Amino acid sequence: MHLTQELEVYSDHKVTQLLFKDVKNAAELRQSAVEGKISGALISPTLVLNPFQVLVAANKAVHLQKIGKMKTRSLFSEIIFNLSPTNNISEAFKRFGISDGDSSVLVVLVHNKGNTPPLSDIVSRVNGQQVPVDDLSSLSDTAKIKKFFKITPQEEKIGTLLDAVVCRMAIKDVL
Amino acid sequence: MLLSFLVDTSRCRSLHNRLRETSLRKAEVNMSVERSMEVSQLLAKAELLKQGAEARLYRTRFLGKPVIVKERFSKRYRHPALDEKLTHRRTVQELRAILRCRKAGIPAPAVYFVDHSTHCIFLEEIVDSCTVRDHIASTQQQPRGPEQLERLAEKIGQMLAQMHDEDLIHGDLTTSNMLLKHTVDGAESQLLLIDFGLSYISALAEDKGVDLYVLEKAFLSTHPNTEVLFERLLRSYTKASKKSEPVIKKLDEVRLRGRKRSMVG
Ligand SMILES: Nc1ncnc2c1ncn2[C@@H]1O[C@H](COP(=O)(O)OP(=O)(O)OP(=O)(O)O)[C@@H](O)[C@H]1O
Ligand SMILES: [Mg+2]
Repeated sequence: MHLTQELEVYSDHKVTQLLFKDVKNAAELRQSAVEGKISGALISPTLVLNPFQVLVAANKAVHLQKIGKMKTRSLFSEIIFNLSPTNNISEAFKRFGISDGDSSVLVVLVHNKGNTPPLSDIVSRVNGQQVPVDDLSSLSDTAKIKKFFKITPQEEKIGTLLDAVVCRMAIKDVL
Repeated sequence: MLLSFLVDTSRCRSLHNRLRETSLRKAEVNMSVERSMEVSQLLAKAELLKQGAEARLYRTRFLGKPVIVKERFSKRYRHPALDEKLTHRRTVQELRAILRCRKAGIPAPAVYFVDHSTHCIFLEEIVDSCTVRDHIASTQQQPRGPEQLERLAEKIGQMLAQMHDEDLIHGDLTTSNMLLKHTVDGAESQLLLIDFGLSYISALAEDKGVDLYVLEKAFLSTHPNTEVLFERLLRSYTKASKKSEPVIKKLDEVRLRGRKRSMVG
């Protein structure tokens, strides 16, 4: 169900993603994250097309943390910020962080290679149905993604929507 | 390539002047910038594809996908602070140009990750591709080669017309900086532009004309007996670009200047 990927650049780090739908306690989950009871990023899947998009954001967050150049206060908020195509932090949280009324949530954990992440703890906290992470695309909204990321029709002709999205995330600091 | 060399150094010199007062002092204070060790460690294990004058290219995997890492390295003869600025600038120019191209529907590899501390760009690997340079060299030998290349020359002309209509100047047009991605089931192969480190934005016909002149020089010296083929490329450019007339006029002027220069030595 969950998806774990090694960060090749930071090879002692792994990223694990868990996806839930029909979530009834988004407000409570958000509160738990604020209080540090959940050590992970809680993401609203609407503008997230594919797990790779999250990996790109997580890799960049770990990178910026290592070189001391994060724009936000924690690794998890940095992941959320990196998902956005703009440099507006509050907009990024609004669009990509979970809101109290959300009915689906993507949980992103960053852990050491040797450590097993607290999967069962996360699963027990979420009042909802866990689904395979590859189902992300069925919970996201392609039309909204194209609009928010300003993807042009010409761009879609020469490559995938995912590449168009990821490119903006990777380059946004120098635009 | 003599001309691109001249163009490049003159640009560096003016850049040098502009940067000198402001950035040297700033960068000196900033010399203790943190560098990412991890990227260097990954590259030490990766396959080195090419060692150029400005950059090394590696093949590796990133988040499960095949990528090409382009690492720009420092030039020892330059002042370290200036060098850092110039290398960063090249990286930024390359990134902006890639996005500008892609937005306009001009194929260029996607960017997955940038490490500005080591000047590394992680690019989508264009798998099953070869440079246009290698393709022309091998196709020229074949019996029906010349006809096949005509179609390619036209596609290159159209792509460059589109790029110039976006006011993007590539700055280093050669057949090594174009890739052909082979497709299965015999569909037409895709043409992509790469290597945008010297690119910039300009609407001036002069800049576009010089861009084409750089390509012409490189093309004709790399690929013998291709004058007719290059003519075809230019004709397709002329047809496809909305603003080609003044560009071709400038190209003619630059050619003339080039010839005069070579006559005086
Ligand atoms: N995304 C890619 N996918 C596949 N091959 C690539 C890709 N990018 C580059 N290459 C290969 O690497 C070669 C060199 O790349 P590039 O032209 O970007 O570097 P360079 O010429 O060394 O750069 P510079 O001119 O900035 O020093 C290309 O000719 C091509 O064969
Ligand atoms: Mg090159």
